[in-house]
Amino acid sequence: MEKPQFTPVAELSYTQATSELDAILRNMQSDSCDIDLLTAYTRRATELLRECRRRLQATDEELKAILADLEK
Amino acid sequence: MSIPSPAPETSGALTLRQLAALVGRSLAVPALQSRWVVAELSDVRTNNGHCYLELLEKDPATGAVLARMRAAIWANVFVRLNALFTAATGQRLASGLKVMVCGTVSFHAAFGMSFVISQINPAYTMGEAERRRREILQRLKAEGILGMNREIQWPVPALRVAVISAAGAAGYGDFMNQLYGNPSRLRFRTALFPAVMQGERTVATVIAALEAIAAECDRWDCVVIIRGGGATSDLMAFDDYDLAANVAQFPLPVIVGIGHERDVTVLDYVANMRVKTPTAAAEWLVAQAQQELDGLDATAAAIVRAASDKIAAYRMQVAYQSSTLAAAPRAAWQRALDILDRDAAVIGSAASRHIVAGLERISMTGRALATAATALTSRAVERLTAKADLLEAYSPQATLRRGFSLTTFRGRAVTDASSLPAGAEVTTRLASGEFTSTVKTILPQQ
Repeated sequence: MEKPQFTPVAELSYTQATSELDAILRNMQSDSCDIDLLTAYTRRATELLRECRRRLQATDEELKAILADLEK
Repeated sequence: MSIPSPAPETSGALTLRQLAALVGRSLAVPALQSRWVVAELSDVRTNNGHCYLELLEKDPATGAVLARMRAAIWANVFVRLNALFTAATGQRLASGLKVMVCGTVSFHAAFGMSFVISQINPAYTMGEAERRRREILQRLKAEGILGMNREIQWPVPALRVAVISAAGAAGYGDFMNQLYGNPSRLRFRTALFPAVMQGERTVATVIAALEAIAAECDRWDCVVIIRGGGATSDLMAFDDYDLAANVAQFPLPVIVGIGHERDVTVLDYVANMRVKTPTAAAEWLVAQAQQELDGLDATAAAIVRAASDKIAAYRMQVAYQSSTLAAAPRAAWQRALDILDRDAAVIGSAASRHIVAGLERISMTGRALATAATALTSRAVERLTAKADLLEAYSPQATLRRGFSLTTFRGRAVTDASSLPAGAEVTTRLASGEFTSTVKTILPQQ
């Protein structure tokens, strides 16, 4: 079984990351899920999720700083 | 060095006073008294309540002075006449006005000839001013520049204001106070481009100020032309073609607030914005900027809201994906396992089903085999029995019992009499017992 090739998460946009995450989850929830790849996909999904969370957090903090400036 | 010549004889010459008296007498004729005259005012000034001025007639085409005469309005008349004129026209007697006045030509030995004015007809001046204004507007319209300044889009926000006013004028002070004292602390930037705002130099100085602003056009958002405040003042200067054409074609929007209530000058038609007072000009600018600021505040609030909403939505999405991911791989694994179990069960049952079917087939075959064998046997027995019966029926014994007999010669059955020799001893077998006989006669077959 060929191991899937993943783009490094840092090179993805947020939208790309969540789209890929969605695709993986949809795949996992379907009957066509390939058990050989389940571990790889789960690891990938976890990685994507961590990245999304991290970016969201960073964006939130930046936004708060910017908006605080706006409300001055 | 020349020697001065002796004084000439004075006999026969008049003194100047005598000449003046003569002129005075010759002017005192009914034709020069209480005459209505139309003229343009010039060099109007007051002194001790009296008003001194010049009356002009100019060539309409070239503007060259065709006639000029000094005139005066004595204080007692001037008070009444000025009030009447101002009330009717909304402006003071001032240079440049076209007037219809009634007066008398008088001559004073020391001051010379003067037209002493006693009455004025304001309707003529109003009509003149109106006619002139219409003329200018028509010309501006014909040249296609009348609406140009009015059509300019305001820069947003308009905070950089070039002000044309007389330095130190009350109206300028009002404007600045209003502009810089705005409650929202909007930061305006202004510069004064000084101009004379009344009298003959008005047009030239205002145009010069406009040109100075145009030279640094990109530093300013708009131009404000303001003056006066308080007393109604002369507006003649603002009904001027050159000034109006300059304002109409000015690259920045122009606000005119020249402090008058009732009359509208040509400038009011061509300027982008017309207000009544300098204070109103400042209020208008503040209101525009305030509106812009309010718009920005609203936008800022909308940004905050949109960003918060977006972040919240993303948080929800991530939370959902996170919870899904927590369960999805195990579920997928479980599902795969279930599929395996199901397949295993299917395989098991399918196999046993095949075996049972095989066994059944085998046992059925066995039974059928037994049945077939039995049937075969009994059929054979039957057939055998039948054969035995037949055999029985065909047996020589049975034939013999029916009365037939078997004759043998030398151990062989005799079926042809001619095969027997005469005298042959034959044995005849009966159903019961046998006997021997000797052949006597042979009869051939008939």
